[in-house]
Amino acid sequence: MTIPAELTRIIQLFQLPFMQRALMGGILTGLMGGMLGSFTILRQLSFFSDALGHSALLGISISLLLRLDPSWAILPFAVVFALGVTYFMERTQLWTDALLNIIYSSSLAIGIIILSFRDNYRGGINNILFGDILGIRESDLILSGLLLLICIAFITLTVRSQMLLTLNEPLAIARGVAVTPHRTFFIVLLSLLVGISIKAIGVLLISAFVVIPACAARLLTRNFISYIIVSSALGGFSAVLGMILSALLNLPSGPSIVTMQLAIFLLAILIPNLKLLVS
Amino acid sequence: MKNPVLMVDRLTVYHDTYLAVDNVSFNLEEGTDMAIIGPNGAGKSTLIQSILGILPRQNGDVFILGQSLSRSGYLPNYVRQEIAYLPQNFMFDRRIPITVEELVGLGWDKLGLKLPWVGSRSRYQAIRQALIKVDAWKLRHNLIGGLSGGEMKRVLLAYCVVRPRRLLILDEALAGLDFQGELDFYQLLYQLKKEEGWAILQISHDLDQVRKHCDRVLCLNRMVLSEGTPETILSPENISVAYSSQLRLISNNNTPYKITG
Repeated sequence: MTIPAELTRIIQLFQLPFMQRALMGGILTGLMGGMLGSFTILRQLSFFSDALGHSALLGISISLLLRLDPSWAILPFAVVFALGVTYFMERTQLWTDALLNIIYSSSLAIGIIILSFRDNYRGGINNILFGDILGIRESDLILSGLLLLICIAFITLTVRSQMLLTLNEPLAIARGVAVTPHRTFFIVLLSLLVGISIKAIGVLLISAFVVIPACAARLLTRNFISYIIVSSALGGFSAVLGMILSALLNLPSGPSIVTMQLAIFLLAILIPNLKLLVS
Repeated sequence: MKNPVLMVDRLTVYHDTYLAVDNVSFNLEEGTDMAIIGPNGAGKSTLIQSILGILPRQNGDVFILGQSLSRSGYLPNYVRQEIAYLPQNFMFDRRIPITVEELVGLGWDKLGLKLPWVGSRSRYQAIRQALIKVDAWKLRHNLIGGLSGGEMKRVLLAYCVVRPRRLLILDEALAGLDFQGELDFYQLLYQLKKEEGWAILQISHDLDQVRKHCDRVLCLNRMVLSEGTPETILSPENISVAYSSQLRLISNNNTPYKITG
């Protein structure tokens, strides 16, 4: 196989509608994951995003039990679950990481048990765990696009409040930042991102979209606005690279994207001068 | 009589079942610098935080510029814009990628739904003036995570003064400043008070500085023990009552200026 032949094969592959939808879906999820992830890691909610991803399996299982379309039913479930977890985190005296561990491992276990009663589930457990980005529909893209616009509007219009809230909560309260509404809306956006993207990326990998690009961006930037922009850009860029890698070597798409995210992160660590180029 | 910028009426705050602030009342007029003194655990920081709405209060009222602070901590935004607060221990994650210029800019911004690039020119000028005032202009591109304690205090002061305000609340602001830093700090406070009419409420343990610079003193030990001018409040008898008789006063000509154990 020659390189030109391979390139031709990949170009032809990306002319297929399902590949274009997969690429667009990956880019939209990458952009949103990077944008929300930039705040998620600073607020030390990485484990929380992981718990949200795992709880999606429970949401999908309950949807199937109630004979609802999981693509839609998962959304309100994710939001209610996220708000419920946040409530318990604030009310109990337990360690946050322990509490989240209880939540995500038990929701995974209960979800799998419920699914075991549904032998005829078309998607199968593998698709739930690792996603099926090639199965993205136009309606999924529209939903992702809408959520991306909401995220951009929210972050752009409230970026100063978000910075202050992330930096020091008493200072934010003293300046009149409505802490609870801001925090709640952010959690709702994060849970909607997980709910919308779970079908494409899967329960086990969705938190990578939120965490890895943001960590790489932190290593490459020297001010907050650049950090948010670079985090989002890296999320989208890694989706493109991952899809190309997947097409090139016939690899699973979702894991390929995460592998590209990791590669970018390792480059950010190993090449310090990359920071100067980005800044 | 000047209109009070801050009115506190029978303020009572509990930490769980512990009575931290008991029935405290006082007024603060514009252009006045009031110091709150008292031993550790007297409720000084709790008082300030409940005035700002950071901690909930169980009883009493707080009025800032005539507006009532609700029990949930709500004040209209236009009132919040007039308040600057410098906390005692500014806890933050040093890995957060915020520069000095960005932090001071947060003090200038009217927070709410707005496009971040609107008014960027006047914002930059205000940040520049504020950082020059506190001698921190050369630090503007530094990440705040790399600042020393004293540098952080100066930057936070710039954050407070970047925009004209009516009320400045300081919680042991001098901690971490060297001798020159203290002098510059009080010079700036004097200028804010006299030239711009700021009302200043500060917690301090340095009685000498309180005597030199403050107009009024509130002596607190969960409740108000005394209130008045520095000359009347900072007598050896009042200080001994406030801090307990086991503490030794370092005094100069029978005028206390430091507390020691």
